[in-house]
Amino acid sequence: MHKQQVIRRIFLSCLLGLLYPFSLLAQQAVDVTAKADTNSIRIGEQIKLQLTATLTPAQFKDPNFKIIFPVLPDSLEHFEVITRTSLDTVSTQDVHTLHQTFTLTSFDSGHWQIPPMRFEVITGANAAADSAVTLPIGIDVNTVAVDTTKAFKPIKAVQAVPWSIWDYWLYIAIGAGIVLIIGGLIWYFRSRPEKAPVVNTPTISPYELATRQLKTLKEEKLWQQGDVKQYYTRLTDILRTYFEHQFNIAALEQTSEELLQNIKPVTKLNQQRDKLRSLLAIADLAKFAKLQPTADEHEDCMVKAEEILEWTRPKAGATEEDGTAAEKQQA
Amino acid sequence: MENTSSDIRQLNEKIHQASAFVDLLTMELGKVIVGQRYMVERLLIGLLAQGHVLLEGVPGLAKTLSIKSLSSAINAKFSRIQFTPDLLPADVIGTMIYNQQKNEFVVRRGPIFANFILADEINRAPAKVQSALLEAMQERQITIGDNTFKLDEPFLVLATQNPIEQEGTYTLPEAQVDRFMLKVVIGYPTKEEEKLIIRQNLNPEASSPIRAIIQPSDIIEARKLVREVYMDEKIEKYILDIVFATRNPEDYKLNKLKPLIAYGGSPRASINLAWAAKAYAFMKRRGYVIPEDVRNICFDVMRHRVGLTYEAEAENVTSENILSEILNAVEVP
Repeated sequence: MHKQQVIRRIFLSCLLGLLYPFSLLAQQAVDVTAKADTNSIRIGEQIKLQLTATLTPAQFKDPNFKIIFPVLPDSLEHFEVITRTSLDTVSTQDVHTLHQTFTLTSFDSGHWQIPPMRFEVITGANAAADSAVTLPIGIDVNTVAVDTTKAFKPIKAVQAVPWSIWDYWLYIAIGAGIVLIIGGLIWYFRSRPEKAPVVNTPTISPYELATRQLKTLKEEKLWQQGDVKQYYTRLTDILRTYFEHQFNIAALEQTSEELLQNIKPVTKLNQQRDKLRSLLAIADLAKFAKLQPTADEHEDCMVKAEEILEWTRPKAGATEEDGTAAEKQQA
Repeated sequence: MENTSSDIRQLNEKIHQASAFVDLLTMELGKVIVGQRYMVERLLIGLLAQGHVLLEGVPGLAKTLSIKSLSSAINAKFSRIQFTPDLLPADVIGTMIYNQQKNEFVVRRGPIFANFILADEINRAPAKVQSALLEAMQERQITIGDNTFKLDEPFLVLATQNPIEQEGTYTLPEAQVDRFMLKVVIGYPTKEEEKLIIRQNLNPEASSPIRAIIQPSDIIEARKLVREVYMDEKIEKYILDIVFATRNPEDYKLNKLKPLIAYGGSPRASINLAWAAKAYAFMKRRGYVIPEDVRNICFDVMRHRVGLTYEAEAENVTSENILSEILNAVEVP
């Protein structure tokens, strides 16, 4: 009897020794499930397949513990994977749940099984690998009932989708934004204060300048010293520059004949045309034909130039008008 | 030797008398040529300034009649050469032919041996024929075989170009065009002028034939006087300013013209502008040149000497537009 008891104790000890590692593993085991939202679909309908792994807080905190979700290919046997979500974690005080959802469909009618999903579990400092497997899920894929006694119907035409403004809200918003920006820019450029034009007020009027230059020319006594050509060149240049500044006639770039033609629109100047013609004729001869006019002619030309200046002398405030009129005529 | 004031006065009087034939000549040509005074005036400038004239205009504008009448009025020899694609240099200048009786080669002179040549549609002949003519124009002599012949003076070539038919033509190269003193563009006559042309053609007996007003020797004498026409330094500077503005427009505040001009006037342009201005002054019976003379002939002397860029052609800018801009920017002395 005593011998039997001893043998029983030894047997029990051995049995406990053998089962101990299994009990340890049982402590480490992960609860994994695969759950479909339906077990019956029509061809092409979608199934939501949720894979879940439930971890204990100890497992969740264990840095050596890892669980690897199954990697589903795009196509399983009789099933197609349409979408897959990323891994999501839901934690409570007692349990931590990891789950991932797949959208599957099937185009083969019949009863098919979503195969068991294998999760890889890595534990311990030595990275011992194990796996946990879900149960297969049976799915009925049904065809649509066809009444073969009736005639075949043609394929339906393309159906117009009912129009909704909300389908285009993004485009409308972008368009409105662009219009607002352009409108804002236009408004900004139109309403911004214009820079005040810099008015270069001449310190000296063309008339005064010409009068001074004529006076200087007289004082230089050029023709008295025999420099007749220079005298007439200066005299005509003074007049041409005056016409250019006072009446906007490009007199410096025009020949005598052209100048006489172009002063016609400027009434006041045109009244002195004969004097100007006579002066320019003598000046041209002196400048280009070495003519030596008499002393009286020299004096006479100077007097004519002064008279032209005096006649066309602008009254206060009339300068702009005359110039503009001439400019218009020229244009 | 520098001209003095009294020299110029004498020259002026001399030219005033000597140039009287210009009016007579113009009147005589006016008997048969209605309108086209501008073309006749340019022909006379070419004749007096020893230059040649390139005429551009549609057919039927009395080009042949003008030069033929001019040669009759000067009692000079006239010759017309119709340029065609199969024309050979020998057809223009002449060739050596073999005389069987004398058993030797003799020179047969071409139609270029005349005082006035009308080279009709010069751009229809290939470059070698154009070169033969243009060389004769420049050198005023012809070499056939071992013999060199001086061409008779006055010698004036009036070449024509048709601006509307460009197919199958050989455009004159720039270097060749430069040899023409003037390029004159002529247009249609006015309504009144054309009415007279119709009447004149319907009743040719009514118009009297051209009489010889002067002799070729008178033209040679007139040319000597043209050479003497006084040109002041200021006018020379004005001419140079115009020509240089075509080369470096930016120096004359014409930067906008820079991308439009491929090349400007050559020194030959300055020379011809001076010559033509002198001839124009002579025709106006003056012994000195004034800026008006330069401006008057500027377009005809310069229009074929200003090369346009592709940009200018794309924008329909013509050499006349460019010259107008230049003349409006360069200061007149």
